[in-house]
Amino acid sequence: MRRCCFLWSSGKKKKILALLAVVCAFLTACQGPREEEEKNSIRIGISLYRGDDTFINNIRNELEEKAKEYEQEHGIKVTLDIQEAKGSQSTQNNQVDRLISLGCDVLCINPVDRMDATVVIDKAMTAGVPVVFFNRQPVEEDMNRWDRLYYIGVDAKETGILQGQLIADLYREQPDRIDINDDGVVSYVLLEGETNHQDAMVRTEWSIQTLKDEGVPIERITGGIANWERSQASALMEQWISSCPDTIELVVSNNDDMALGAIDALERAGIEGVNVVGIDGTNPGVEAMENGKLLGTVSSNKEVYGSAVIELAASCALGEPLPQEYPLTDGRYYWIPQEILIQDLEG
Amino acid sequence: MIGKRGKLLIVLYMIFLVILFLMCSTDLIIREPEKEVYQIAVIVEDARDDNYGNFRKGMDQAAVEFNADVRFITLYEEMDAGQQLDLIDRERQDGADALIVAPVDEKVLAAASGKQGSAPMVLLGIGEPEEKTAAVVVDYRKMGEQLAEEMKKRIPAGSHVLILAEAHERSATAEDFLQGAEAVLEDGGYDCRRVRPEGEEGYREVLEALPEGKAVILAGTPEALAEAGGILEEDPVLAGCVQGLYGRGSTMAALNDLDSGVVTGICVTDEFSRGYFSVQMAIEALEKRGGHDPLVMESYYIEKKDLRKSEYEKMLFPME
Repeated sequence: MRRCCFLWSSGKKKKILALLAVVCAFLTACQGPREEEEKNSIRIGISLYRGDDTFINNIRNELEEKAKEYEQEHGIKVTLDIQEAKGSQSTQNNQVDRLISLGCDVLCINPVDRMDATVVIDKAMTAGVPVVFFNRQPVEEDMNRWDRLYYIGVDAKETGILQGQLIADLYREQPDRIDINDDGVVSYVLLEGETNHQDAMVRTEWSIQTLKDEGVPIERITGGIANWERSQASALMEQWISSCPDTIELVVSNNDDMALGAIDALERAGIEGVNVVGIDGTNPGVEAMENGKLLGTVSSNKEVYGSAVIELAASCALGEPLPQEYPLTDGRYYWIPQEILIQDLEG
Repeated sequence: MIGKRGKLLIVLYMIFLVILFLMCSTDLIIREPEKEVYQIAVIVEDARDDNYGNFRKGMDQAAVEFNADVRFITLYEEMDAGQQLDLIDRERQDGADALIVAPVDEKVLAAASGKQGSAPMVLLGIGEPEEKTAAVVVDYRKMGEQLAEEMKKRIPAGSHVLILAEAHERSATAEDFLQGAEAVLEDGGYDCRRVRPEGEEGYREVLEALPEGKAVILAGTPEALAEAGGILEEDPVLAGCVQGLYGRGSTMAALNDLDSGVVTGICVTDEFSRGYFSVQMAIEALEKRGGHDPLVMESYYIEKKDLRKSEYEKMLFPME
């Protein structure tokens, strides 16, 4: 066999190296100029799992408000591109493609399927666009795949405990208010969110556990999945009212929309006095509470929610240090503070 | 030692690699066809987008079809003409190819637009349209007249009509609509009385002081309609004193109230088409296609029974 290129004379080698250097310089020049301007505008792509969810709509309004406030405070133009995935993960994946192609600097994603955020993360990683997930927490394995993934939401365990405490505190103060028929047992029905949804399971588990831990004598009559929806909850409640007449004393709901559905059914049946508790503190939920229809709810601070998402997203987009007022747990999670709201029982 | 032929082959091979590299990673040899993406800014007169739900759907649909990048912008404070001009200026400086504007004040905008850049502007206008203006127009005065004519068919002559006006006369839209309705109702012998919301109580106090006998309520804005609907829903006694609640707008709140029977009738326009056509008109202006004559949107009167009719269902609940 013949050895070829390695046997050239040193003069020729130099010529070839010089030629290669020229070619490299030319090719580098072909890559075009780099932008190193200071940013005075950012573009945030937002995808919501559904547009008709009351809580998500409240958050959307807050995001729009906070983006305007950020614009005014910092003098940086904020463009929001808001999309609704209509409950389809594949639609959301396509929306992420479009948001990236529109040149969004950061994505804020409310995942349709928290178990299936992989595709969104893959797309974002490939494009080098950081992602702030909110409201529905992707699984830990996904979150650990990249250091530019963040999550903002409420701690579902804390939510459940607060809901349980709301009922337990009232039971201690006014047992008759909760144990309506005064038989020493509080009979309840349970309205749960989606099947296998982590938040639904954790909220239910800790709400009931807290009631037990606090010594409230409870008995579950029945329960069902209403997929966070008012109409489905209303239909379920109607069935339970007819199948278990005069026994339901308490309705424990995983969110306010379903609690309002239960109230709708109770009103249709002309039943008064049944206590209904929700979670989320949505505007219609709080309104129902003020009107004496909903006993109470666990409310996450929407203003903090909106601010945290926008501030974190803006910092990511601008490549600035993350905002100190929203300290992250494990460098990627921010938990929104929550509070118990209860109807004015004196008035 | 390598022969001449071998060296030539190596050089050719290197040239081939360089060409291959150029083809793959730069656009020097093969240029990808550039798709022009038009940047369009939509600046409305409101601080919220509640009244623009279906409009945005139409706008987004057109954005996809015409390959446009459409940004929807609300004001920091509603009905602030100066701020709207600042935003128009900002968007032009940021490279917007075209603007779609729902003007707070058409005169202020017309005076200012002459001084500014050359990006074409489509107006979401109201009232009588001017010729040769790129605009999608709703004639709210006519809409008010149309609603009043429908009310006349349903309520006895001489009835009291309580007209819910805005706290301050800021919106020309609401004013045009109410003037149109009032003119028809007063001609028909109805006793019209304008009331304005008071403090935090809004319209509650004025509704609770309804005149003797059954009154009819006409709301001048979608917000007033929603508020009145909410008050009547909460208070069945008060609702019993009301012969009918009328208004305008196709917000979800208005449609839900119509469906539940709280609202008797509303006048609406096809907001989805309005959003779609405004983007289409902006694209046509950019591509120097089409005329610049304004497009006047029709108004429709609907009641609960009409909600499920396919022509209205498609218009009020458009599929994206």
